[in-house]
Order: sequence, then C-alpha cells, then structure tokens
Amino acid sequence: MIAEELITDKGVSAGDEWITVPAPRLREAMAALKEDGYRLLVFLTCVDHLADASKEWPARFELLYEVRDMEKLRDLRVRAFVDGEPPEIDSVHDLFPPANWDERETYDLFGVVFSGHPELTRILMPDDWVGYPLRRDYPVGGEPVEFSEEHETWLTPPPEA
Amino acid sequence: MSIEDASGQGVTITQTGERGAFGGELLTVNFGPHHPSTHGVLRLIVDLDGEQVKRVKPVIGYLHTGIEKQMEALRWQQGVVCTDRHDYLSPPINNLAYALAVERLMGVEVPPRAQALRVIMCELTRLSSHLVWLGTSGIELGAMSVLMYCFRERDTIMDMNEEISGFRMHTSYIRPGGVMADATPRFFDMLAKFVREMPRHIDEYEDLLTMNPIWRSRTIGIGRLAPEVAKVVGASGPMIRGSGIAWDLRKVMPYSGYENYDFEVATNDGCDCYARYLVRIQEMREAVKILGQALDRLPDGPVNVDDRKMLPPPREELETSMEAVIHHFKLFTEGYSVPPGDVYVAVESGRGENGCYIVSDGTHKPRRVKFRSASFVNLQALERMALNHMIADLVAIIGTADTVLGDVDR
Repeated sequence: MIAEELITDKGVSAGDEWITVPAPRLREAMAALKEDGYRLLVFLTCVDHLADASKEWPARFELLYEVRDMEKLRDLRVRAFVDGEPPEIDSVHDLFPPANWDERETYDLFGVVFSGHPELTRILMPDDWVGYPLRRDYPVGGEPVEFSEEHETWLTPPPEA
Repeated sequence: MSIEDASGQGVTITQTGERGAFGGELLTVNFGPHHPSTHGVLRLIVDLDGEQVKRVKPVIGYLHTGIEKQMEALRWQQGVVCTDRHDYLSPPINNLAYALAVERLMGVEVPPRAQALRVIMCELTRLSSHLVWLGTSGIELGAMSVLMYCFRERDTIMDMNEEISGFRMHTSYIRPGGVMADATPRFFDMLAKFVREMPRHIDEYEDLLTMNPIWRSRTIGIGRLAPEVAKVVGASGPMIRGSGIAWDLRKVMPYSGYENYDFEVATNDGCDCYARYLVRIQEMREAVKILGQALDRLPDGPVNVDDRKMLPPPREELETSMEAVIHHFKLFTEGYSVPPGDVYVAVESGRGENGCYIVSDGTHKPRRVKFRSASFVNLQALERMALNHMIADLVAIIGTADTVLGDVDR
C-alpha cells in the first residue's frame, strides 16, 4: 500500500482517478504502487503550465504517470510537480521498462532531466537540436526549412528558441 | 567507416573488435532507415556475430512531424485532422480516441446511431490495417502474391471510406460530438456486400499462407515474446494476444458500445511470429462478424449530439433563426471551449492500445494533447524478440510487430 503521507492531493478528473505525490519521493511512491498491483506503466508525459490561468499550479512542469492494474482493471494517474532549470526528477525506468523511451521523449520535448536514466538522449528530434519543442514558450514554426533561402540565416538557431 | 558518419543511406558496416562465439569479430551493421523492410523509416543499429543478432538499437524520429505541438495551436474541432495523420493506417480509430476524450471532458454522450457508425468505421479500419500488414509482411518474406489479394479488398474499404466521408484515407469521419454525416444507402449496400464476401477472401489468404511450408518455417519459433515479458514491456494488441494473454480493450474496458457486440478475443499461445499472424487473421474474421452485427441492428436516430455550443446548426436553420447564425459564427471563429481538466481514453487499434490524453485549461484550444501509441511501446520489445536470431529473421520480427513509423514518431 502506498503510504498516506506520500499523497499530497487526490481526486477524480472526468472519471479518471489521480493522486499527487511530492516530486523528490516519486520513486518511492511508484515502487509502492507497483507493489500494490499497478504493474503496467501505460504512458508518462509532461504538461507545461506556463501562463495557465485555469488554476493555481504549484510548479511549471507537471509530470504524469498513468499506471494500470491489469488484474483488477483500474487505472491511476500519478502527478508530480517540478520546477527549476533544468527541471529534474528521478527515473523509474528500472521499475517500469516502458518508461525508458517515454522518459527520453519527455527529456527531448520538454527538457525534463530524469536522473538515473541510462541513456538520456534525444529520441525524436535530431541530436544537435537546440531547445525543447513542446514547451509553451517554444514557437510553432520556429524552425528553419531546410534547403530554403532562409536556411542560410537559420543555420545557427536563434538564442530565444 | 564508423557508425557515426553513416548518413543512413544503405548499409554501413563497422568492425567492433569484439570477439564472437564462432571465432569471428562482431560487426555493427546499420539497417535502414530507407530499407524496404523497415515499414517506413525505422533505423536499426544491429551488432552481428556472423549472421546472429546480438544487439539491436532502434533509432527513431525520422518521421517526427510535431503533431502534438501542432494540436496546441489548433481549436478543439480542428485537431481531428491531426489525429488522422499520426497512425496513418488507422485514422478513424485515432479520431475515436480523441473524440471520446473531448466528449468525456465536455460531459456529452453521442446518440446510439453515431456509436454504431463509429464501430463500423473502426472495424473497417482494423481490417484495412491488417490487410496492409499481411500484404507487406508477405512480400518481405517472399510471398509476393498475397499483397495483390490484400490490396484488392483494401481498395473496397477505401471505396467505402470515400462513400461515407469523401476521403479515401484520412477520413476525419469521427469527430467530437458524433460523426461527420449519416451514411448513405449506397454505403450500406457496399458494406452488406463486403460482409458477405470478406470471409471467403480471408480463406484465400489463409490458403496462401497458413499451411505454406516456406511461410511456416520463416515464422514458427521466430521472435518469441514470453507472456510475462510481454506484460513487463507493456506490449499491447496482437503482440500481447499472440503471447496468449486475452487482453483486448474492446472487451476489458469497452467504449463506444463494444459491450453490445458478440465477438471473441483472438489469442494464440505460440508467442512467435506465426502466432501473431494467426491472431491477426482471427481478428479479421471477428471484425467481419462485428460489422455484420452492427449492420443488422443499426439504430435509427440522429448521428450528432444536439448541442449548438459544440456542433453547428443545420443549414436550413440559418435562414430563419438569428440564434443559429450566432452559434454558427461563434463556432467557426472562436470554436468551443472545453472545461478545465484532463482525461485519458484508450482504444484498441490494429496495433494495440492507442490512447489520447488531453489537458484543457478552459480555453478553445487544448493545453496538451498526448498520443499513447502502441507502436512506440511495442518497438521497445524488438531487441528482446530478435536476440540470437538470424538477421533475415529480424525482417520477419519487424514485420509481425507491425509498427507504423508515423505512430512511433508522431
């Protein structure tokens, strides 16, 4: 069972159950959930709450772990909030193998650093890419079109990208 | 030449200096991304001992199109066209995941006729996706003629897509709030004929492959994925059912009225490429069964929710009602806004669990849309399946994993 003090908040969003855990103790919470029967990590992702007026957010980046109990057919969403530059959280790739690529993807697109990950490199974007495309301050259309006239001037990415 | 300066054109070989079991040296071979057997643009860095695969490292991202970023810049109803395009072999199934997610946040339920039409479109798509898989996998293993048979039936399905939505591939037929439009009588005639004839065509594919000695020797015992491993790596779809686990989201977590249809979950205990082939063939038969049932008991009624804040009013109302004009104008300039919150909806696509996770901040555009794609997760199991097999078997294993690279890279 996951210890009570690990859950800082919980609720139901559109029928999906969720809990919030403190980011430094995420690994502990995920290990407890795995013991509890949630053995499958369905997906892991991040949401950037920059300038999100819908409610008061504890931090800019919200990490989400959707875990599933395949025997009892229940899902649970685990939230953890991180801030800082770069935002940092513990890796869970050894507890849940599918997390390996998901964490690389989240690092690639949001710049969240998963400490303890064996190979935290870019996975979808080219290795020499500058910036984290899914952050809200990264503009749509902010990349050069290769082999076009503007490409020459774009070869070095703009500092704000 | 080392692997770093391989531009990905053709095959590059590097000597690693490591000793193999047969006295030779381990070779690193670059496989893809423009190799016909990689189902698109998958690149693999393979370490070989003789012909035996010792390590496989998939390199992905060649088809990354930034669909999730794009959707944050589009209004809720515009995002549907993006969902078509990541897993380009099963557009309506991806539409459905997105539509169900938006509907759950909005708290609306679509009418029964829309649900049944959605099921029809999803099962047609499952068939066409499996037909592409069967045809291309056949070609990869030397069975050239299967492709011709498969694409003959796939074209019938494309014709039906065209009849119902106007598009052959990216239909955008299933939308939040219902479907694009009601199906035409001609569509139902085509569908009835298809349901009547398809079982015989599936027999034809089986005649070509199931007892074919070459096909059997290329697939039986190849690419073993033990049930406990399949669970650990998070495999879904025919990958997990080919390992003997009856896990089908249409059965275990029914959506869009799937609980009302009578069908079996296809499983096979073989755990190898042949088992996954048999599972897909069985799934095609079940899909035809579901189509027949849906056609028989298709309910009458509207195909969209009756909510003027979400869907435009009918054309004739615009001439008489000022309110209808206002709703129409608001919908096509600002769009509708979705209450704040987040939701995850998973549906069973031809490849496994294709889910859609959306976050709304209460505005008329999504804050975040994340696609959980089955191909992305299933591809991680590739190394475990390919270990100690011959390099030629790697082609069979990639084939039966049935990854769509658009879905992997999104």
